[in-house]
Amino acid sequence: MIRVAAVGDVHLGEDARGRLRPALEKVGEHADVLLLAGDLTRHGTVGEARVVADEFGGLPVPVVAVLGNHDHHDDKPDEVTQVLRDAGLTVLEGDSVTISVDGNTLGVAGVKGFGGGFAGKCGSAFGEREMKAFISHTSEVAESLESALNSLETDVKVALTHYAPVPDTLRGEPPEIYPFLGSYLLGEAIDSTGTHLAVHGHAHFGVEHGMTPGGVRVRNVAQPIIRSAFTVYCVEPAVLEEASHG
Amino acid sequence: MTAEQYLAARLRRALAEDPRTTELGVRVTVRGDHVLLSGDVASAERRAELEAVIHDVAPELTVLDDVKVTPVGEPEGREELR
Repeated sequence: MIRVAAVGDVHLGEDARGRLRPALEKVGEHADVLLLAGDLTRHGTVGEARVVADEFGGLPVPVVAVLGNHDHHDDKPDEVTQVLRDAGLTVLEGDSVTISVDGNTLGVAGVKGFGGGFAGKCGSAFGEREMKAFISHTSEVAESLESALNSLETDVKVALTHYAPVPDTLRGEPPEIYPFLGSYLLGEAIDSTGTHLAVHGHAHFGVEHGMTPGGVRVRNVAQPIIRSAFTVYCVEPAVLEEASHG
Repeated sequence: MTAEQYLAARLRRALAEDPRTTELGVRVTVRGDHVLLSGDVASAERRAELEAVIHDVAPELTVLDDVKVTPVGEPEGREELR
């Protein structure tokens, strides 16, 4: 059994320094890995990234993160990423990491993701330059997620994003803003790659549980939803293997 | 009614765009002279900042503050995916 801890949208800054740390120091009792689903900072500054690095650095389990829209606000995603990497975190954007847990392998592929909307109610790369740029960004990000998931040959595959791959986990958010909360292109990438679990954040008023059209479990781990320092999902590789061959 | 909708939209944008708050996860509901704030933020200071920004944009409104500070304890239990 692989125990996956996850949290998103912690929105750290100097004023929230150290709040999560007491619970995080015990993460090893609960889980084998910790996933961070973006919006780790408030404004995406290097100073806030240092608070994140101190909060999540030096934990007893590997920490794997993607950035969120807040982490881009100061236009320094590369610097923010470097600060987190210097603290020992793995930061994914279109790539993946493999972690061994008791003889099994866990693969995590991650991207920030982006908006655009869901099947039948989404934007198209057509018309104004701004609209084409918006939807093209989503397409490129979804393609890089698919490629990263495809590259994994692990017992368990997890997709980590900030934006939502399905509308299920957005219930509670106004439907009018769904196109700013996620894209079906992320869900399609997850469904075409034999992925076992998808974890995202971003939707503070959504719900935790959802599923892709292809039957992959989706979990919204935005901290206002899970209401703890992190939550834990247990995945059994043998069960998954049986199910996929059954 | 129409004016309330525009005011609520202005307040919501102010909470999202003002560097003191940058909160996209706070609901703003205007009813007459009252504005209800709800949602979660990461610290007690940020609750106070929300009220300060609302006051700057619409000093005539009375703020009803239902915003909570997100809990940060260890999880109770875990979910087994089968």
